[in-house]
Amino acid sequence: MNKRVTRRELLTLLAATGTSATVLNASAALGMIPDTRLNLPEIPRADPANRPSVVILGAGISGLTAAYELDKAGYDCVVLEANSRAGGRCYTVRSGDVIDEVGNPQVCEFDDEPHMYFNAGPARIPSSHRNLMHYCKELGVELEIFINENKETYFQDDAMFGGKPVKNNILTTNARGFMAEIMAKSFTTAELDESFSEYEAEALMSAVRSFGDLNDDDLYTGSFRAGYKAGGFIDHGVQKEVVAFKELLKTRFLNMALSQNEGETGPVLFQPVGGMDMIVKGFERALPDKIYYDILVTSVQLNGDGVDVQYEHNGMKYAISADYCFNCIPTHLMTGIPNNFPSEYVQAMQYVKRGEAYKSAFQAKRRFWEDDDIYGGITWTNQPIRQIWYPPHGVHKAKGVILSAYDFGGGMHFTRLSQEERLETAIKQGEKVHPDYRQLTEKGITIAWHRMNHMLGCAARWSSSFGGMTEEEERMYHTLQAPAGGRHYTIGDQISMHTAWQESAILSAFWAINDMVERRGGTGRMPGQQVV
Amino acid sequence: MKSRNYLALLLLAGAALTQTVSAQQYEAFHLAGLNLAERVCATCHGPNGKGNPIVGGPRLADIEPWYLRNQLIGFRSEFRGTQKDYIPGYEMQDSVARMSDAEIEEVVAYISSWSASPNAPTITGNTNRGSELYVSCAACHGIEGQGNEALAAPGLTEKDDWYLFRQLNLFKSGYRGSHPEDQWGQQMRASVGVLETSQDINDVLAYINTLGS
Repeated sequence: MNKRVTRRELLTLLAATGTSATVLNASAALGMIPDTRLNLPEIPRADPANRPSVVILGAGISGLTAAYELDKAGYDCVVLEANSRAGGRCYTVRSGDVIDEVGNPQVCEFDDEPHMYFNAGPARIPSSHRNLMHYCKELGVELEIFINENKETYFQDDAMFGGKPVKNNILTTNARGFMAEIMAKSFTTAELDESFSEYEAEALMSAVRSFGDLNDDDLYTGSFRAGYKAGGFIDHGVQKEVVAFKELLKTRFLNMALSQNEGETGPVLFQPVGGMDMIVKGFERALPDKIYYDILVTSVQLNGDGVDVQYEHNGMKYAISADYCFNCIPTHLMTGIPNNFPSEYVQAMQYVKRGEAYKSAFQAKRRFWEDDDIYGGITWTNQPIRQIWYPPHGVHKAKGVILSAYDFGGGMHFTRLSQEERLETAIKQGEKVHPDYRQLTEKGITIAWHRMNHMLGCAARWSSSFGGMTEEEERMYHTLQAPAGGRHYTIGDQISMHTAWQESAILSAFWAINDMVERRGGTGRMPGQQVV
Repeated sequence: MKSRNYLALLLLAGAALTQTVSAQQYEAFHLAGLNLAERVCATCHGPNGKGNPIVGGPRLADIEPWYLRNQLIGFRSEFRGTQKDYIPGYEMQDSVARMSDAEIEEVVAYISSWSASPNAPTITGNTNRGSELYVSCAACHGIEGQGNEALAAPGLTEKDDWYLFRQLNLFKSGYRGSHPEDQWGQQMRASVGVLETSQDINDVLAYINTLGS
């Protein structure tokens, strides 16, 4: 029965065997839904005698993107930033930097060396984030590979192996082996023949065997993928013992272990050489004299055909009016700044929840992880620190900066602690993975985004559940995305359905620019190709 | 002068951490002359003290300087901000933890210059019932809710109703007004018993919202 399966039949089959997500992804692979493409806004060049003016509030990635594109098109742009630095949450901490946490200012005392930095906000650039990749290229930001999953890192769960850390390669190799064995056993030949041609069934089964490194009897009996117990180069390799599958089921890390190298955190990931804020510095280079720092915005008023902004700087009050305002001030802070926005717009701003993410880092006195074959990657633990990140850069140098906690969910556990408690907690929990952690680490810093001055929050959260946005939430989202008074755009990753990524911040700025261009009469371009 | 005071504050704050802070490091922070209230208070309370319930920052505009001073001292002495699972409260504690009396005076003087139009009421209730319940409040806070410094009873009309709602509940639950050093708070904790239910609180706040206009 070598019948050709039609596309619809395949989708039905996948839907029967998998989830709707399987169908969605398969649809993309078959070219049925569009993928995101580099989609720079096309902005008609401004009339030099009558340049539209734009005041941009906040020099985060979205504000910088808007300023860069509009400035290039001849618009008259200024950027007003509350902080003494640009970048918002795109923030790299180095020697001497003051971490401006409300009630807990810290000074970073890392060694003053180019590789001794900590990306306190975004730290990964997926290669598929092509708009951000575009700006890295355009702004001359040198990139290097970031390593997310490393098979030599650890999983540590108090419930598994008596709390002893286990190497990623042992956990994933054994998990895949056992899962493949189950998969191989779960279909009879007759069942497979019913859904697939002989050729397809063979392809599927050979993939399942290879997925788990099964033996000829479709059984998992261990694999060299978990590393050698001994030998393997000059002498015969000795295989490690198979671990009890039930032991692996004591942890909830299997899902993390098998998915951390997939999707947006899958290869290839990049980081800018020298710190994520090299992107910010690139924008700053391209926008000389356009960005003003230490600005306290005191009022934002729609005036019918533009926006009036008042601000204070250095004890003096100023007023500026512009045709447009692009505003990436966090919505939860904008609600405290006097404005005359429509009430439903303010309601939407009030609804968005503040993100709580927390990160901390230590300077390592020596790169102890390299003694353990670890070069980059992430260790996972079930303790509140959740993760330890090893730097993929600075290989074999004397020291390195290690991420000692990343609570990307409810980061309030650490946020609530004093600075001393935060660091001590990170050491105690890190010791469960690296016994000499206390002796090997120093000069800790912590970033509780919920309390960072001028931000008071990490990535915005629109949805109150994992089930996605409700109809009401989606209505508010579109209310806030649309320009207030046709002139004031709220931008940033906060106006995206995929918050916490720089790509979203860029695309939110693009959305606003495209909307503005359309309202100004479009690009003037006719559809189709001109015939000469 | 103001920025130098802030520098001193930061130096004090830094000294309590494991790291020590050099003057050059703060120069790198370049404060650009912004004073403490502008740099820190405004983030939560809004640039003119209009308040921002979204981040738990109550309105400070038009607040009495003596009451503001008492509260800052209260947060510094840790008899305010005692509900540990309420972030804004201990944010306030940390923010004033290492402030000197002189720095508190500086902040009080600056914030006293803040003024703003009243915020819209957020609480609904029966104002008739509220006016009856308010009789016992009026003894200290005044018939028009204007306050009475001699009794350390603050004015109520310029304060946000959501903030008053929260404070009344804190007094009722003992998070506020239980500390032995907080004599005025103890007085209020003893008085708040007349408001027995949340309906009582809503009604009295609805009535307070009608005062002072």
